[in-house]
Amino acid sequence: MKAVGRWLELVAGPFRSSWRAGLGWAIAFVLLVVSTVAFWPAFKGSTGLDAAFQALPKGMLEAFGFQDFTSPAGYLRGGLYEVIVPLMFAAAGVLFANSATAGEEDAGRLELLLAMPITRRSFLAGRSLAVLGWMVVLAIVVLVAQLLSNGAFGLEIAAARIVSTVVLCGLLGTVYAGLAVAIAGILARPGLVLSVGLGLSLVGYLVAALFPLSDVLAPWAQLSPWDWALGGDPLVNPAELWRYAALAVPSLALAVVGIAAFERRDIRSA
Amino acid sequence: MDAPDAPSSPDELDRPALRISGLVKDYGRVHAVRGIDLDVRRAEVFGFLGPNGAGKTTTIRCILDLLRPTAGRIEVLGLDPRQDGVAVRRRIAYVPGELRLPERQTGRQLVASISRLRGDLDSARVRELAERLSLDLGRRLRDLSSGNRRKVALLLAFASDAEVLVLDEPTNGLDPLMQHEFLRLVREAREAGTTIFLSSHVLSEVQRAADRVAVLRAGKIVALGTVDELRGRARQRVDVWFVDPPPAEELAAVPGLEDQLVEGHRFAAVLSGSIQPLLEVLARHPVVSMLVEEPDLEETFLDLYEAAS
Repeated sequence: MKAVGRWLELVAGPFRSSWRAGLGWAIAFVLLVVSTVAFWPAFKGSTGLDAAFQALPKGMLEAFGFQDFTSPAGYLRGGLYEVIVPLMFAAAGVLFANSATAGEEDAGRLELLLAMPITRRSFLAGRSLAVLGWMVVLAIVVLVAQLLSNGAFGLEIAAARIVSTVVLCGLLGTVYAGLAVAIAGILARPGLVLSVGLGLSLVGYLVAALFPLSDVLAPWAQLSPWDWALGGDPLVNPAELWRYAALAVPSLALAVVGIAAFERRDIRSA
Repeated sequence: MDAPDAPSSPDELDRPALRISGLVKDYGRVHAVRGIDLDVRRAEVFGFLGPNGAGKTTTIRCILDLLRPTAGRIEVLGLDPRQDGVAVRRRIAYVPGELRLPERQTGRQLVASISRLRGDLDSARVRELAERLSLDLGRRLRDLSSGNRRKVALLLAFASDAEVLVLDEPTNGLDPLMQHEFLRLVREAREAGTTIFLSSHVLSEVQRAADRVAVLRAGKIVALGTVDELRGRARQRVDVWFVDPPPAEELAAVPGLEDQLVEGHRFAAVLSGSIQPLLEVLARHPVVSMLVEEPDLEETFLDLYEAAS
């Protein structure tokens, strides 16, 4: 019974203490999704807009997801799921993970907790699960907001494609959260965790979006987790199972690296 | 993960509560602790004294396995904190010197979450301690003064079933009344068989609470003994008024009597070590009055620090 209470505290404690950030992200996601879908009726079937977009270079259109902007899938991709939503999931993952780990350690707040009868492994695993919990909550929020606003504004798209796309974006966020846990496990430097985590999120997007424009670089685009998540255009085509695994496995592996490193080093004091 | 603590075997009771041998901790080129050896007995209040930066907190953080020693060995109740960290920390309660608590929580929320992690906080004891420490657990921790936050940490330590309390500068920020209450808590805990490792740079508090004291300077122990032994090493001012002129020659031969001064019938000096040889001289001469100042441990420690440097 005590062990259950202890595990509950190791996960629920940090989950609870991030509720303000969680609420902030949830509101931001809902506003973004609802306001974007609200403009769908104006774009629907607009031939003029299509013609204007066609005048732009094809590669550039694809980089920003603006090809086929007047179809439901094309509109959602260009407006939400090519850049902004996955980027927000990545940023949320890095920020949640950083504040639960390196941020707390740098502030000297791990001193009292790690003097408790718990292992460092269970401590950091609990914090990683709390971050995962917030990623799940945010994915559900985006999913619900998307499905409800699709209905409200008459955007017709299969719910299965939405579910798959949102889950892939959420998993992309967990990759960067895992990266943040790995860095924080090695070093208690919140500045480093944030700059590397957010920097690599952006690099991941740029690699997936811009490399395909060059014949030389195109094959390397597959190095980016963004390509694993969204390269199959999940709003249009059912995503292959390997895409989920390609995101989930590295997320887990990175967290394990962080936990292993955290067990071996000194804890920073205030 | 949650195996019940094995009852202390008689064999285990013979072991010291805490044994540190050859402890070294370097941070790169900085040598924070340079070879510490000490044993803390069971149910003893052990004072760990030294100026800031002497290595007290580093040693304590090694005991809790928050830091990994560069060299040396630590045993807590016969267990190695590196190998059996969970078991060790189950039997230790710790009050950090640099205290950082989750600011948005109330005292009560923190007590609840620590209670779930430790599993041994007694809620009746928590209420009793909150009352004794005049602590309002309903307030958010960020709204509390540093002294009141310190009280929260003390409450968490003293409300546990820990066999060893490791207290790093525990009275920082406490007013004199609460310092007094703290000393009462320490004495009660010792009477109940708890071992207390009390780190401080405040001599008076260690002098009042501790059975034995180690004095640390620049990462090394420069003195170790009972408070009385250290008092024996203390320098004290002696003033004697004789009926006749002072027996200067006899007094000059008394060991440990320095800075001698004779002014009429008054004799003044600084005595280090035992007062017995001086008393033997005085017994042979009629004395009007005599004043011996209480040895000032502060000066003793300053002497020790200086001697070590």
